[in-house]
Amino acid sequence: MTTKARGRALISRAIQSGLTLWVLATIIWLMFRLLPGDPTTALLGTGQLPPDAVARLRAEWRLDDPMGAQYLRYLGNLLTGEFGLSFTFRQPATEVLAPALVNTLILMAPATAISVVGGVLLGAWLGWRRGGAAEFGGALLVLVLRSLPAFWIGIVLLMAFSYSLGWFPIGGIRTPAFFPETWWEELPGFDFLRHLVLPVTAAVLYFLADPLMIMRTSMLEARTEDYISYAEARGLPDRRVRRIARRNAMLPVVTYVGIMVSFAFGGQILIEMVFSWPGMGRLMVESVTQRDYPVAQAAFLLMAAIVVVVNFLVDLLYALLDPRIRDA
Amino acid sequence: MTPAAGRNRTNSNGSEDRDAIMTYSRRSFLHALTAGMGGAAVPASTLLALEGALTRAAAQQAAPNGPVPPITFFAPNWPDYIEISRLIANTWSQLGVEVDLKQGTAQTLMAEVIGEHNTPHAVGVSWGGAPDRIDPDYFLTEFFNSRRKIKGGLNYGNYDNADYDAVNDAQRAEMDPETRRELVWKCQEMLAADNPILVLTFRNATQPYNKARWEGVVPTLASGVGMSYIPWTYYKMKPLTSRKVARTANFTEIVTLNPFATPEIFNATLLRWIYPTFVTRGPNGDVEPWAAESWSVVDPTTVDVKLRPGMVFDDGAPVTVEDVKFTFDFIMEWKFPAFARVPEVVESLEIVDPATVRFKLKQPSASFVPNVLGFCFVAPRHVWQALPEGLASPADWPNEAPVGYGGFKFIEWRKGEYLQLETNKHFFLPPAVDGVIWLFVPNIENQLAMMESGALDMLGWNIDGEQAKRMAEHPDLEVVSVPSHGMHEIRLNMDMAPISDPAFRMALQHATDRKELVEVVFSGLGAVPATNTVITGANEFWSNPNLPMPDFSIEKARQALADAGYTWDAEGRLHYPAG
Repeated sequence: MTTKARGRALISRAIQSGLTLWVLATIIWLMFRLLPGDPTTALLGTGQLPPDAVARLRAEWRLDDPMGAQYLRYLGNLLTGEFGLSFTFRQPATEVLAPALVNTLILMAPATAISVVGGVLLGAWLGWRRGGAAEFGGALLVLVLRSLPAFWIGIVLLMAFSYSLGWFPIGGIRTPAFFPETWWEELPGFDFLRHLVLPVTAAVLYFLADPLMIMRTSMLEARTEDYISYAEARGLPDRRVRRIARRNAMLPVVTYVGIMVSFAFGGQILIEMVFSWPGMGRLMVESVTQRDYPVAQAAFLLMAAIVVVVNFLVDLLYALLDPRIRDA
Repeated sequence: MTPAAGRNRTNSNGSEDRDAIMTYSRRSFLHALTAGMGGAAVPASTLLALEGALTRAAAQQAAPNGPVPPITFFAPNWPDYIEISRLIANTWSQLGVEVDLKQGTAQTLMAEVIGEHNTPHAVGVSWGGAPDRIDPDYFLTEFFNSRRKIKGGLNYGNYDNADYDAVNDAQRAEMDPETRRELVWKCQEMLAADNPILVLTFRNATQPYNKARWEGVVPTLASGVGMSYIPWTYYKMKPLTSRKVARTANFTEIVTLNPFATPEIFNATLLRWIYPTFVTRGPNGDVEPWAAESWSVVDPTTVDVKLRPGMVFDDGAPVTVEDVKFTFDFIMEWKFPAFARVPEVVESLEIVDPATVRFKLKQPSASFVPNVLGFCFVAPRHVWQALPEGLASPADWPNEAPVGYGGFKFIEWRKGEYLQLETNKHFFLPPAVDGVIWLFVPNIENQLAMMESGALDMLGWNIDGEQAKRMAEHPDLEVVSVPSHGMHEIRLNMDMAPISDPAFRMALQHATDRKELVEVVFSGLGAVPATNTVITGANEFWSNPNLPMPDFSIEKARQALADAGYTWDAEGRLHYPAG
C-alpha cells in the first residue's frame, strides 16, 4: 500500500469514527430522556421542595426547553468539549468525573495488566501442554473463576481476609486520618496498598480467564501450523518454537485487550460497590438514578469514545504485530 | 433495544411486575417525541404516561350491582414494601376484591405518582423522619390540603375538602401553640372521619453503637443515636478509649459543601453541623434555641431573634447580626430553591440592636420558627460577598473550605469516601469528641462488618430487625431503637371507584393488619399506631389521642361493606351496591 493510500484510509477511518461517536452521543442522549423522571424528580420525592421551587429549578436547568433545542445545545456543547454542569454536584461534569476516573484506573490498570500478562503466559503454557493433567486442571480452575460473578469473588475475599482474618481493610481506598501503629505501617503507601490488594485480586481472578482461554485456543491452533512443524523440523529448541507460536497466537488476545481496556475505564460497578471503591462505576450508577444527565452522559460517552479510539489503536497495533495486514 | 424492553427490565423486580405500571405505548411515545421535536415543551415523563388499566379505571364509575374491579396497589420495590404489599394483598383480598400489585423503582414512583399524579387506587410510600416533618403542618398540609393537589405536590391521593382546607389554613397561621393545637387536632379528626390515608407504622430509628468505646449517646426522636438530622449524640458522647475521633457511616454521600445549594436532607443537615441553625430540636422533638439565644413573637407577623453572644467564625471573625441580615437578603435575592420556604414567609428583616434581628412575615406562620429558623443559618458576609465573578448562582460555588461557626469544623472532604470534621472548642456547647469522620460506604454488609471489626463506632442510617439482632450479638455493640415521626403509609386515590366510597375506605382500614406488619416486616422495631392519625403518638403535643385506629377485623370490614349495600356473588366476589 502506498503512503498516499494509507493516508486516505486513515482519514476515512477517522471520519467513520466521528460518525460513530455522533450516533452514540445521540443514543446516549435519547436514552436518558426516555427514563421516567428528570433531575428534579428526586427532589420532588424528598418532599423537601414545594412544587413551585421545583418548577423554578426546571427552568434554571432549562429542562422545559423543547427537546430539539436541548438536543442541539447538547451537541453544540460536545463540539466544544463541554458536558455541562452536574445537577447534583453543581460542578462541571468533567470535574466530577476526573477523580472517579483516576480511582477506577488505580484499581483497573494493575488488574488489567496482571490479567493480560498472566493470561497470555499461562494460556500459552497450558496450550502447549495440551492433554496433560495440568492443562485440564488449569483450564477448569479459570473457567470456574470466570463463571463466578466478580462481586461474589469479592465478597468471599472480604469474608476470608477482612472479616475473619482482619488482614485487609473492609473496603474503601484509604483510611481517613490514618495513624501508623507499627514500623511497617509507616512505610509510604502501606495503607493505600493494603486497600488495593483485595479488589485487584478479585478483578484479576475474574478477568484472567478470557485472555487465558483465548491464548490457549489460539496456541493450540498455532501448534498445528506448518511453520511450527517447520521450526520443529529445523531442530529449534522447544523454548524458541514456543516463542514463535506465542507471537502468532497473540493476535486475537490483542483484539480482546482493546475491549478489556474500554471496560477498565468504565470500572467494574459490582466490584466497586462491594469494596466501597469511589470509582466510575459507582458514580455512573448514582448519576443515572439521580438523573444527573451531564455526568451520566459524559461518563457513557467517555466509555464509548474509548472503545472507538482503542479499536482504532488496535488496528494500528495489528499492523505492527502482523506484517501481512500492513502489506495487504 | 426497544424502549419498551428497556422499561420492563428497569422495573422488573419480582413476578408481580409482569405488566409493570408503565404500560408502554409506542404510539404515545412517537406522538410525544414528534411534538417535542416540533417545538412544544414536553417533560420527559409524559413520554411514559400511564395508560391502559389506570386510565380506564379512573374513568370508570361504579356500575350498580357490577363486580368491583381489581384494586391496583403500587409500591416501590424496596425490600420492606415488597413484603408489605404481599401482606396487604393477602388481607384485602379477603374482602372479595382482587388486589393487583405493581412495583417500580422509587424514580418511577416519584415521576409518575408525585410528578404527574398518575395515581392508581392505592400507593404505598415511606417518609423519613426529617426534622421539618415534626411540625404537624408538614403532613397535614402537604398531603391533604387541596392546594397541594397539583402535579409535583404530595396530595396525589386527591383529597379535596374545603372545610378541611379552612381549618388547616387556620392552624398554619395560628401563632399561639395552645390555640393552634385545637385546630391541629380538628384537622386530624376530619381526616380520621374521611380515611384518605392508611397509616401503617411509624418505623423506629434503629442503630448500633460501640459501647466499649463510647458512652453518653442521646436517643433522639427519629434520629436515634447516629443520624445526622438532630445530632445530640455527636455533641454529647464521651470517649472511653484513646480513640477520640468518632467514625460513622452512611450509604449516600454528600454532594456539595455549599449550604445554599442542597435541599437533600442528609447533605443539608450535615452542613448544619458547620453552619448551625437558629433553633434546633431537642431529643424529644421540642424546639430549642441553638445559634439563637432566644426568640419572641412580638405580634403574629413579627418575630425577634436574639443571636447567641460570643459566636466566632472559624476564621476568627465574630458572628454578627449584619451577617444574619446579609444571609437572608442573599437568600431572598437569589431565590435558592432549597430555601423556597423563606421568601414564601419572610417579608423583610431588620437589625434592632447589635444582638437582635426582627423578622417581618408576609402572613402569620406557625411553622416559621421550627422550619425556617430551624433550617436557615448564618453565612459569613466577608466570605460570600467576595465570590468570584461569572457564577450563574452562588449555589454553584463549590465552597471548598467552609467557614462556619458550629460545634464542628471542616477538615477534609474526599468525594465518595469521607467527610472529616474536627471539634470547635469555641462553640457554646463544645462536643466532647475531638472530631467525627463520616464515611460513605455504599453497602450495608461492609457497614455491619466494619461495626464488628471496630472500624466504625456508629451508623448514620437505620438497620432492620435481622441486622439489629446480628449487631446485638457482638459484645462491644449495643443497638438503640427510638420512636420516629417518619411513616409508612398507603395513600388512597379519592377520585377512583371504589376507593371514592367512604364505606370502602373504612373496610380497607379494618382489613389492614398493622400488628402483623410491624412484627413480620420490621421485627417489632416500629410503632403499631393506636390512633388513626398521621401525627405519631410520640409527637405528644400535636397528636390527637382521641381517634382510635379501626381494629383489624375482616369481619368488621365485610360488615362495613354489607351495611353500605355491597353484596357477594356465589364465587365470593364483591359487587357494588344496587342503584
